[in-house]
Amino acid sequence: MIEFENVSFNYMRTDEASVKNVSLKINNGETVLLCGESGCGKTTLIRMINGLIPHFYEGQMKGRVSVDGTDTTKAELYETAKVVGSVFQNPRSQFFCVDSTSELAFGPENMGLPEDKIRGRIDSTVNSMKIRDLMDRNIFEMSGGEKQKIACASVDTLNPQVCVLDEPSSNLSLEAIEDLKQTLLDWKEEGRTIVVAEHRLYWLKDICDRVVCLKNGETIFDISMKEFKTYTEEKLRAYGLRSVNENLSMIPIKTEHMSTETITFEKLFYNYRNCDALQIDRLEIPRNEIIAVVGPNGAGKSTLSKCICGLMRGFRGNAVIDGKKLKSRNLLKNSYMVMQDVNHQLFCETVMDEVILGMDEENEDRAFEVLEILGLKEYAGRHPMSLSGGQKQRVAVASALLSDKDIILFDEPTSGLDFYNMEKVAQLISSLRGQKTVFIVTHDPDLVRRCATVVLRLENGHVKNTNSDGEMKGYGTEKEKCYSAVV
Amino acid sequence: MEKALYNPGKLDRGILMDPRTKLLLLITVTTFALGGAGGRRCENLVPVLCMAPFLLLFTAKRFKTAIIGIILFWGSSTLLTFANAHNMGGFLYYIILGSCGVLGRFLPCIMMGRYLMESTTVSEFTKAMKKLHVSDNIIIPLSVMFRFFPTVIDEADSISCAMKMRGISIGGKHASKMVEYRMVPLMTCCVNIGEELSAAALTRGLGGEVKRTNICKIGFHVQDFIAISLCLVPWILLIVDVVK
Repeated sequence: MIEFENVSFNYMRTDEASVKNVSLKINNGETVLLCGESGCGKTTLIRMINGLIPHFYEGQMKGRVSVDGTDTTKAELYETAKVVGSVFQNPRSQFFCVDSTSELAFGPENMGLPEDKIRGRIDSTVNSMKIRDLMDRNIFEMSGGEKQKIACASVDTLNPQVCVLDEPSSNLSLEAIEDLKQTLLDWKEEGRTIVVAEHRLYWLKDICDRVVCLKNGETIFDISMKEFKTYTEEKLRAYGLRSVNENLSMIPIKTEHMSTETITFEKLFYNYRNCDALQIDRLEIPRNEIIAVVGPNGAGKSTLSKCICGLMRGFRGNAVIDGKKLKSRNLLKNSYMVMQDVNHQLFCETVMDEVILGMDEENEDRAFEVLEILGLKEYAGRHPMSLSGGQKQRVAVASALLSDKDIILFDEPTSGLDFYNMEKVAQLISSLRGQKTVFIVTHDPDLVRRCATVVLRLENGHVKNTNSDGEMKGYGTEKEKCYSAVV
Repeated sequence: MEKALYNPGKLDRGILMDPRTKLLLLITVTTFALGGAGGRRCENLVPVLCMAPFLLLFTAKRFKTAIIGIILFWGSSTLLTFANAHNMGGFLYYIILGSCGVLGRFLPCIMMGRYLMESTTVSEFTKAMKKLHVSDNIIIPLSVMFRFFPTVIDEADSISCAMKMRGISIGGKHASKMVEYRMVPLMTCCVNIGEELSAAALTRGLGGEVKRTNICKIGFHVQDFIAISLCLVPWILLIVDVVK
């Protein structure tokens, strides 16, 4: 079905090839997992299958890629689109319409299908994916999981023989991943050929038949899933992969709290136009610890974090730190959020300017110290936008440290990261323990188990810390009990 | 949440009107209320026209916006009449004349534009333009603009949050660089999203040679005819005026 013949590619303005001499043959109906560390060439291969390379992303390409007998390098994109459907990583930037029904119709409309046929296709997709309640709604108001469902559904209405997915689970909660898994299983049943590039591997072990691992643009192994499952943790780490039998329990590190001081939040209430998003009367948090805020999409995690940072307009609650009562405005001065899209918070022309921007007194020596600790010293003169994602994140952390904030909040710091980078972030966060009170809003159990000392589970705007978390969500054999529920 | 701005949700679309009617209403309101065309002959009609956008906002369940709009509109015109009646003069009068005049003229047009944006989906708009035989070169940029509005607002929201956390605000010490700090990340983010968006659209077959279909059902109903006849009155008066 899909055939790569000695394919190499370099993107414009880069020296190193992203993919080097790859040959790969994927049979009809096969489900293939592409894995490997960040920058190994997974995305490049996906883009070759759907024709975005070389038609949209320019660069130098050698070799031949064919899908269903046609050469994707020669065929126009709209021809390839009839055979290959694509789902991307970021749910917010892959829909073209504002309402969900037009979005589902978008693909078939482009093909020029007659109206009643399009309606029929939408109907059958809606039925098979059980998304009737998502129809006729504004996509901008949906949660990440719902958006990704719409993205899958709009691929489904085109009825392609090949489906490619590029890190589709990055921004999803564990619950939403289950839904995505079901969709893929349905597609597999229909006999479609599926290629998934992913970092989180556990949810694919029952779906994929074959695993292809890449490193620096070359395939290092190409084996069956059955064999892959026998690989030990150490072996997976050597390839920069996450676990196949991922432990999904959100358990904090077992350790004594460093101090007895606490931060108390009072009256954490917030409601939107027609629903209560947050209803917590009183919340006591040990100071200078690392608190993971977990829970399904729409549980009130982001509302809580905005309230903590004092960014929520009309939020009436307060926090008590050191016996001082802080209202919204003072919370804003005392906290800092490292956003999921760090690009939103980098304003200056050099890293140095960026980190001293929030300091009360501009002290370059201290700034250098902090940059040194975070491994950013040599980049002090660079433009923040020219750094890699992880480095940008560390710049944001540096500016939080230098502006003497008490509370640092990370919003999904590890979404879309491979094992190494996830571990780096975990180390970074752990190093803040004892100096700052750190909140992490996350869906990543690996991260929680590596650095969180307190786990706060939210459901429907209430704190729900139950001991059954570890057992309920444990894939494979590891079943641990969640030992501490500190609230 | 502010997210609902400029994009129609499921519940509050209001009475469904053809986008073409909405466009006609917009043009009529701007010509006669803002442009002041028609002169004395239309004088009594203008307030009626000005009320149309507020009425429409009511049907779309934007009560707060509509009520604030009505209060502002009537308040300013009452103040103006009051000032005229008492033969006020001097500096104060000019201020009242200036601000109320601008408010009274601009407000209905802005509200009408807002209603149009909020109650029309991208596909409906595209289809309406197609039916009006507008060229693709105009339709595509316009529909992309429709799509991009909510994105830009989302991004701008996050950026202003980030700025607040850094203490960059009017009155703060970096006030002079406010615009730069806001625009640079906004541009970067919008360019990134734009690129991802076009990639996604292309993989779904946009730009093919076949004629695109559109499954939206638009057409004229009773409410459209009422609105259109309302719009036609001032135009006819204007034409009669010009012909004479």
